[in-house]
Amino acid sequence: MTTLRQFSRFVAGSIGLMLRGPAVYWVWVATLVALVASGVAAYVTQVSEGLIVTAMRDQVSWGFYIGNFTFLVGVAAAAVVLVIPAYVYHWKPIREIVIIGELLAISAIVMSMLFVLVDVGRPDRVWHLIPGIGHMNFPRSLLAWDVLVLNLYFVVNVVVVTHILYRAFSGREYDKRFVVPLVLLSIPLAVGIHTVTAFLYNGLAARPYWNASILAPQFLASAFSSGPAILLILLQLLRRFTRFEIQQSAIAKIAELMAYAMFLNLFLHGAEAFKEYYSATEHLRFTQYWFEGLDGHRTMVPYAWTAVSLNLTAFLLFIVPTTRNNWITLNLGCVATYAGVYIEKGMGLIIPGLTPDTLGEIYEYYPTITEVRVAAGVFAVGFLVFTLLLKVAVPISLGEFQSDRMPEADAATAPRGLEPAPAGSAMSLRRTDH
Amino acid sequence: MVIDLKRCIGCYGCQLSCKAEHGTPPGVFFARVVKREFGTFPNTQLTFLPLLCFHCTDAACVEVCPTGASHYRQGGIVDIDATMCVGCRACIQACPYGARYYHDEQAAYFPGQGLTPYEQRKYATHTTGVVMKCNFCIDRVTSGLEPACVANCASRARVFGDLDDPHSEVSQLVRLRGGEQLQPELGTRPNVYYLPV
Repeated sequence: MTTLRQFSRFVAGSIGLMLRGPAVYWVWVATLVALVASGVAAYVTQVSEGLIVTAMRDQVSWGFYIGNFTFLVGVAAAAVVLVIPAYVYHWKPIREIVIIGELLAISAIVMSMLFVLVDVGRPDRVWHLIPGIGHMNFPRSLLAWDVLVLNLYFVVNVVVVTHILYRAFSGREYDKRFVVPLVLLSIPLAVGIHTVTAFLYNGLAARPYWNASILAPQFLASAFSSGPAILLILLQLLRRFTRFEIQQSAIAKIAELMAYAMFLNLFLHGAEAFKEYYSATEHLRFTQYWFEGLDGHRTMVPYAWTAVSLNLTAFLLFIVPTTRNNWITLNLGCVATYAGVYIEKGMGLIIPGLTPDTLGEIYEYYPTITEVRVAAGVFAVGFLVFTLLLKVAVPISLGEFQSDRMPEADAATAPRGLEPAPAGSAMSLRRTDH
Repeated sequence: MVIDLKRCIGCYGCQLSCKAEHGTPPGVFFARVVKREFGTFPNTQLTFLPLLCFHCTDAACVEVCPTGASHYRQGGIVDIDATMCVGCRACIQACPYGARYYHDEQAAYFPGQGLTPYEQRKYATHTTGVVMKCNFCIDRVTSGLEPACVANCASRARVFGDLDDPHSEVSQLVRLRGGEQLQPELGTRPNVYYLPV
């Protein structure tokens, strides 16, 4: 059988897997599709009416979309960096973890790129940003750098994942000489995408709130706590519903590492807050707007303190061994991390950066329904991509979906020493209905 | 350009003539006058600060533009190629002087009545979904006229000229009267100087 034919069988089989599932799976997919549809409808309004349907104005001209973009770049970066502790601690099911981290990275990158797309005023001209075809202002514009590194990171992850899954499907081990360098490359790339994204804000002398060199390290610290938070919940679900073997000690180790990352995040925030409040220059106004409100404008204050308390809670839950080994408090900590970092890095970064504006005016930004609907749609696309990818990756990793177990398997390519195919459908997804 | 703060009487002539020249939509001011009151009675002070794009030599907006739509033109004028702008608004974040505006919709000055013939004609010259800004009235300048805000300044507070020529009026005013840039510490090297009160 030619490689091409085998690959098309892989693709067809994967699609088949995605189209099969228990009722819970279909309810989940239908919910996501409904959210996507609502998002598309809202986006159509936005394109025809203009960004005036959002709450963004000249004073605050980046908002909810760019905040989500920043957060998701962090998730994408952190998902792969989990590979490092996996290597360091010789974690056994490393291949599966690498794959799941990379699938999460792919989905997060898809979402972050969509968030940039929905934010621009002229989506019809986004091709100007395609290297080679468009007119990129490279290397001067950090935005051009961001487009390049995000796409590179995306391609590397897609290539690695496809290779590993396809090889597993064909019943062969993945090519170490091909995968290991790419996985190792994706680690500096992961740090790179988040650093470049931080520099996007960091480089602007006009915005003192962003013009702090602590920004990139703090981005990485918060990413390394929020990214694993999602993975931890996911690994528990996989362990519960599939035959995936994930040791409790491994989960506790990740939680412990998250405690350190969260501590670093809180520490860097504290260092920045100290500098602002102790020196109390006119640049303090931005920090004041976030934590205490300015001239009676207090829309953001509840969010600021919610984020701080959630992050503190998460830190305490993860640093105490008893609570990080208890699955209830562990998951509470994950949710707290996720929500805390989401607020702090989304709205908490963008809005005080732009309020008050360069002329000292205060425009209170709060996202409109259209923005929320579009954002929910983008998140739904990402979750859908992730769900479908997992639907294929999990059975492959468990050896339940392989070319030689498909009914029309070609004996010539089948590896030696096969066990007989399990009864029932060769592609059945046993207990993967999370 | 040089703006003499001693001469400015805060009449908004520059702001209005700029609107007439470029036909910018509501809320967009390529030229604007910021009025500020200081102190408590009886020790009070009223100042006017006319603002526009400073056409910086090291413009932060040109630096961050991902497509090169923001660029330097002949004589150092900072302009936007409206066909290249993707509307990402990175330049708005980068400009320390609030000189850039996102052109979202062809908003009517008299809501409910539709666009006036004047608005229809002027709005046709501006693309929507992109960023817009002062271009030092480059069309007027290339045909030998002064920018609209300079030509219409009632108290001759604004002087337009070549800062690279040490003998020009603007260069001499900056030298003799101690012309100052706004926020020079940001390193953008603005090409608009203010003569102190």
